Amino acid sequence: MNHRRQITRAAELECLETLRDFVDTQCKDIPGMDEQTLYDLKLAVDEACTNIIIHGYSGMNPGSIILSVETDPKNVILTFTDFGHPFEPSEAAIPDVQAVLDGRPMGGFGLFLIYQCMDLVEYETNEDGNCLRLTKHIQNQAQTF
Amino acid sequence: MQITDRLENQTRIVTIAGNVDALTAGEVTQYLNGRIHAETKQIILDLSQVDFMSSAGLRVILTALKASRKLGGDLYLAGAQPSVERMLKVSGFTSILKTFPTVEAAVVEFSSQDHGGPQSVERK
Repeated sequence: MNHRRQITRAAELECLETLRDFVDTQCKDIPGMDEQTLYDLKLAVDEACTNIIIHGYSGMNPGSIILSVETDPKNVILTFTDFGHPFEPSEAAIPDVQAVLDGRPMGGFGLFLIYQCMDLVEYETNEDGNCLRLTKHIQNQAQTF
Repeated sequence: MQITDRLENQTRIVTIAGNVDALTAGEVTQYLNGRIHAETKQIILDLSQVDFMSSAGLRVILTALKASRKLGGDLYLAGAQPSVERMLKVSGFTSILKTFPTVEAAVVEFSSQDHGGPQSVERK
Protein backbone atom coordinates (compact mmCIF):
# COMPACT_ATOMS: atom_id res chain seq x y z
CA MET A 1 0.00 0.00 0.00
CA ASN A 2 1.42 3.37 -1.02
CA HIS A 3 1.68 6.12 1.51
CA ARG A 4 2.78 9.74 1.23
CA ARG A 5 3.27 12.42 3.88
CA GLN A 6 4.83 15.86 3.62
CA ILE A 7 6.30 18.38 6.03
CA THR A 8 7.47 21.95 5.43
CA ARG A 9 9.96 23.62 7.73
CA ALA A 10 12.17 26.71 7.72
CA ALA A 11 15.64 26.06 6.34
CA GLU A 12 17.29 26.39 9.75
CA LEU A 13 19.60 24.03 11.60
CA GLU A 14 17.18 24.08 14.53
CA CYS A 15 14.72 22.14 12.33
CA LEU A 16 17.04 19.21 11.56
CA GLU A 17 15.87 17.07 14.45
CA THR A 18 12.21 17.64 13.55
CA LEU A 19 12.89 16.59 9.95
CA ARG A 20 14.75 13.46 11.08
CA ASP A 21 11.98 12.60 13.52
CA PHE A 22 9.40 13.00 10.76
CA VAL A 23 11.11 10.34 8.66
CA ASP A 24 11.51 8.11 11.70
CA THR A 25 7.80 8.34 12.47
CA GLN A 26 6.77 7.68 8.87
CA CYS A 27 9.11 4.74 8.30
CA LYS A 28 9.70 2.88 11.56
CA ASP A 29 6.63 0.66 11.25
CA ILE A 30 7.17 -0.34 7.61
CA PRO A 31 7.38 -4.14 7.34
CA GLY A 32 10.99 -5.17 6.84
CA MET A 33 12.38 -1.95 8.28
CA ASP A 34 15.42 -2.45 10.51
CA GLU A 35 17.44 -0.07 12.67
CA GLN A 36 20.28 0.35 10.17
CA THR A 37 17.94 1.19 7.29
CA LEU A 38 16.09 3.66 9.49
CA TYR A 39 19.39 5.26 10.46
CA ASP A 40 20.39 5.50 6.79
CA LEU A 41 17.15 7.33 6.02
CA LYS A 42 17.57 9.78 8.90
CA LEU A 43 21.19 10.37 7.94
CA ALA A 44 20.22 11.09 4.33
CA VAL A 45 17.55 13.53 5.49
CA ASP A 46 19.96 15.28 7.82
CA GLU A 47 22.72 15.61 5.24
CA ALA A 48 20.42 16.73 2.45
CA CYS A 49 18.73 19.35 4.62
CA THR A 50 22.04 20.57 6.06
CA ASN A 51 23.32 21.11 2.50
CA ILE A 52 20.19 23.07 1.62
CA ILE A 53 20.43 25.19 4.78
CA ILE A 54 24.15 25.94 4.56
CA HIS A 55 24.78 25.98 0.81
CA GLY A 56 21.39 26.19 -0.90
CA TYR A 57 20.27 29.33 0.87
CA SER A 58 23.76 30.78 1.29
CA GLY A 59 23.64 34.56 0.95
CA MET A 60 19.86 34.53 0.71
CA ASN A 61 17.06 35.02 3.18
CA PRO A 62 16.37 31.58 4.67
CA GLY A 63 13.57 29.90 2.80
CA SER A 64 11.82 26.62 3.35
CA ILE A 65 12.44 22.92 2.90
CA ILE A 66 9.59 20.70 1.78
CA LEU A 67 10.23 17.08 2.64
CA SER A 68 7.94 14.36 1.40
CA VAL A 69 8.19 10.71 2.37
CA GLU A 70 6.61 8.18 0.06
CA THR A 71 6.54 4.52 0.86
CA ASP A 72 5.48 1.49 -1.09
CA PRO A 73 6.08 -2.17 -0.28
CA LYS A 74 9.61 -2.05 -1.70
CA ASN A 75 10.89 1.52 -1.43
CA VAL A 76 11.11 4.66 0.62
CA ILE A 77 11.37 7.78 -1.51
CA LEU A 78 12.49 11.03 0.11
CA THR A 79 11.90 14.20 -1.91
CA PHE A 80 13.38 17.54 -0.85
CA THR A 81 12.24 20.75 -2.48
CA ASP A 82 13.94 24.08 -1.85
CA PHE A 83 14.13 27.47 -3.54
CA GLY A 84 17.78 28.34 -3.01
CA HIS A 85 20.81 28.05 -5.24
CA PRO A 86 20.82 24.95 -7.47
CA PHE A 87 23.33 22.25 -6.62
CA GLU A 88 24.15 19.27 -8.78
CA PRO A 89 25.08 16.41 -6.43
CA SER A 90 26.72 14.25 -9.07
CA GLU A 91 29.43 16.89 -9.51
CA ALA A 92 30.64 16.62 -5.92
CA ALA A 93 34.08 15.16 -5.24
CA ILE A 94 34.53 12.04 -3.14
CA PRO A 95 36.24 12.99 0.12
CA ASP A 96 39.57 11.51 1.16
CA VAL A 97 39.82 11.31 4.92
CA GLN A 98 43.60 10.81 4.88
CA ALA A 99 44.02 13.94 2.78
CA VAL A 100 41.98 15.90 5.28
CA LEU A 101 44.14 14.62 8.10
CA ASP A 102 47.18 15.83 6.17
CA GLY A 103 45.81 19.35 6.14
CA ARG A 104 43.71 19.64 3.03
CA PRO A 105 40.25 21.18 3.33
CA MET A 106 37.40 18.98 4.41
CA GLY A 107 34.23 18.85 2.41
CA GLY A 108 31.84 16.57 0.66
CA PHE A 109 31.34 14.04 3.43
CA GLY A 110 27.64 14.79 3.68
CA LEU A 111 26.96 14.09 0.05
CA PHE A 112 29.26 11.08 0.15
CA LEU A 113 27.16 9.63 2.97
CA ILE A 114 23.94 10.26 1.05
CA TYR A 115 25.30 8.21 -1.86
CA GLN A 116 26.42 5.50 0.56
CA CYS A 117 23.13 5.08 2.35
CA MET A 118 20.64 5.57 -0.48
CA ASP A 119 20.18 3.47 -3.61
CA LEU A 120 19.21 6.16 -6.08
CA VAL A 121 20.01 9.88 -6.12
CA GLU A 122 18.16 12.12 -8.59
CA TYR A 123 18.24 15.89 -8.89
CA GLU A 124 16.25 18.35 -10.92
CA THR A 125 15.99 22.11 -10.90
CA ASN A 126 13.36 24.19 -12.67
CA GLU A 127 11.11 27.19 -12.15
CA ASP A 128 9.33 25.33 -9.34
CA GLY A 129 12.51 25.01 -7.30
CA ASN A 130 15.24 22.45 -6.71
CA CYS A 131 14.15 18.88 -6.21
CA LEU A 132 16.36 16.17 -4.73
CA ARG A 133 14.85 12.70 -4.83
CA LEU A 134 16.43 9.87 -2.85
CA THR A 135 15.25 6.27 -3.08
CA LYS A 136 15.98 3.49 -0.63
CA HIS A 137 15.04 -0.12 -1.31
CA ILE A 138 13.76 -1.54 1.94
CA GLN A 139 13.45 -5.24 1.22
CA ASN A 140 17.06 -5.91 0.29
CA GLN A 141 18.92 -5.75 3.59
CA ALA A 142 22.25 -5.88 1.75
CA GLN A 143 21.62 -2.37 0.51
CA THR A 144 22.50 -0.79 3.83
CA PHE A 145 26.10 0.41 3.84
CA MET B 1 22.98 17.15 23.69
CA GLN B 2 25.15 16.97 26.80
CA ILE B 3 28.91 16.73 27.20
CA THR B 4 30.82 15.70 30.30
CA ASP B 5 34.41 14.72 30.88
CA ARG B 6 36.72 13.18 33.42
CA LEU B 7 40.41 12.42 33.77
CA GLU B 8 41.72 8.90 34.17
CA ASN B 9 45.43 8.06 34.08
CA GLN B 10 46.18 11.38 32.34
CA THR B 11 43.62 10.52 29.68
CA ARG B 12 40.70 12.88 29.11
CA ILE B 13 37.50 10.93 28.63
CA VAL B 14 34.80 13.02 27.00
CA THR B 15 31.29 11.61 26.98
CA ILE B 16 28.75 12.96 24.51
CA ALA B 17 25.06 12.21 24.94
CA GLY B 18 22.41 12.94 22.33
CA ASN B 19 22.70 14.03 18.71
CA VAL B 20 25.78 15.39 16.97
CA ASP B 21 24.60 17.24 13.89
CA ALA B 22 25.32 20.56 12.17
CA LEU B 23 23.44 22.36 14.94
CA THR B 24 25.40 20.88 17.86
CA ALA B 25 28.80 20.13 16.29
CA GLY B 26 30.19 23.59 17.00
CA GLU B 27 29.50 23.18 20.70
CA VAL B 28 31.33 19.84 20.78
CA THR B 29 34.32 21.28 18.91
CA GLN B 30 34.49 24.22 21.29
CA TYR B 31 34.29 21.90 24.29
CA LEU B 32 37.08 19.70 22.98
CA ASN B 33 39.28 22.66 22.04
CA GLY B 34 39.12 23.74 25.65
CA ARG B 35 40.27 20.36 26.93
CA ILE B 36 43.03 19.25 24.60
CA HIS B 37 46.27 20.58 26.13
CA ALA B 38 49.88 19.53 26.38
CA GLU B 39 49.02 18.00 29.77
CA THR B 40 45.96 16.14 28.51
CA LYS B 41 46.59 15.24 24.91
CA GLN B 42 45.27 11.69 25.16
CA ILE B 43 41.58 11.87 24.41
CA ILE B 44 38.89 9.22 24.45
CA LEU B 45 35.58 10.20 22.91
CA ASP B 46 32.88 8.11 24.54
CA LEU B 47 30.14 7.80 21.89
CA SER B 48 28.06 5.19 23.70
CA GLN B 49 25.26 7.69 24.33
CA VAL B 50 25.29 9.26 20.87
CA ASP B 51 22.01 8.32 19.23
CA PHE B 52 22.66 10.10 15.96
CA MET B 53 25.74 11.53 14.28
CA SER B 54 26.03 13.18 10.86
CA SER B 55 29.04 14.26 8.82
CA ALA B 56 29.23 17.29 11.11
CA GLY B 57 30.26 14.84 13.83
CA LEU B 58 32.95 13.42 11.55
CA ARG B 59 34.38 16.92 11.18
CA VAL B 60 34.40 17.32 14.96
CA ILE B 61 36.34 14.07 15.35
CA LEU B 62 38.86 15.01 12.67
CA THR B 63 39.47 18.43 14.20
CA ALA B 64 40.06 16.96 17.65
CA LEU B 65 42.20 14.14 16.26
CA LYS B 66 44.48 16.64 14.50
CA ALA B 67 44.72 18.81 17.61
CA SER B 68 45.70 15.93 19.88
CA ARG B 69 48.24 14.48 17.45
CA LYS B 70 49.78 17.89 16.92
CA LEU B 71 50.62 17.83 20.63
CA GLY B 72 52.02 14.31 20.38
CA GLY B 73 48.89 12.68 21.75
CA ASP B 74 46.08 10.77 20.13
CA LEU B 75 42.31 10.38 20.09
CA TYR B 76 40.40 7.13 20.36
CA LEU B 77 36.70 6.50 19.91
CA ALA B 78 34.85 4.22 22.29
CA GLY B 79 31.44 2.62 22.52
CA ALA B 80 29.98 3.79 19.22
CA GLN B 81 26.59 2.29 18.49
CA PRO B 82 26.49 -0.02 15.44
CA SER B 83 25.03 2.55 13.04
CA VAL B 84 27.59 5.17 14.03
CA GLU B 85 30.38 2.60 13.85
CA ARG B 86 29.36 1.69 10.30
CA MET B 87 29.36 5.34 9.29
CA LEU B 88 32.87 5.74 10.68
CA LYS B 89 33.97 2.69 8.74
CA VAL B 90 32.45 3.63 5.40
CA SER B 91 33.92 7.14 5.70
CA GLY B 92 37.41 5.76 6.18
CA PHE B 93 37.76 6.92 9.78
CA THR B 94 38.54 3.47 11.13
CA SER B 95 41.70 3.49 9.02
CA ILE B 96 43.05 6.69 10.56
CA LEU B 97 42.12 6.23 14.21
CA LYS B 98 41.41 3.46 16.68
CA THR B 99 37.96 2.51 17.88
CA PHE B 100 37.14 0.40 20.92
CA PRO B 101 33.95 -1.26 22.10
CA THR B 102 34.29 0.31 25.56
CA VAL B 103 35.99 3.24 27.27
CA GLU B 104 37.78 0.77 29.52
CA ALA B 105 39.43 -0.93 26.55
CA ALA B 106 40.58 2.44 25.18
CA VAL B 107 42.04 3.41 28.56
CA VAL B 108 43.98 0.14 28.67
CA GLU B 109 45.40 0.88 25.23
CA PHE B 110 46.59 4.34 26.26
CA SER B 111 48.03 2.91 29.48
CA SER B 112 49.98 0.28 27.61
CA GLN B 113 51.56 3.01 25.46
CA ASP B 114 52.48 5.06 28.52
CA HIS B 115 54.44 2.06 29.78
CA GLY B 116 55.97 1.28 26.40
CA GLY B 117 54.08 -1.97 26.27
CA PRO B 118 53.99 -4.28 23.30
CA GLN B 119 50.51 -3.16 22.30
CA SER B 120 51.59 0.33 21.25
CA VAL B 121 49.56 1.66 18.35
CA GLU B 122 50.87 1.77 14.83
CA ARG B 123 49.49 4.78 13.08
CA LYS B 124 48.78 4.54 9.39
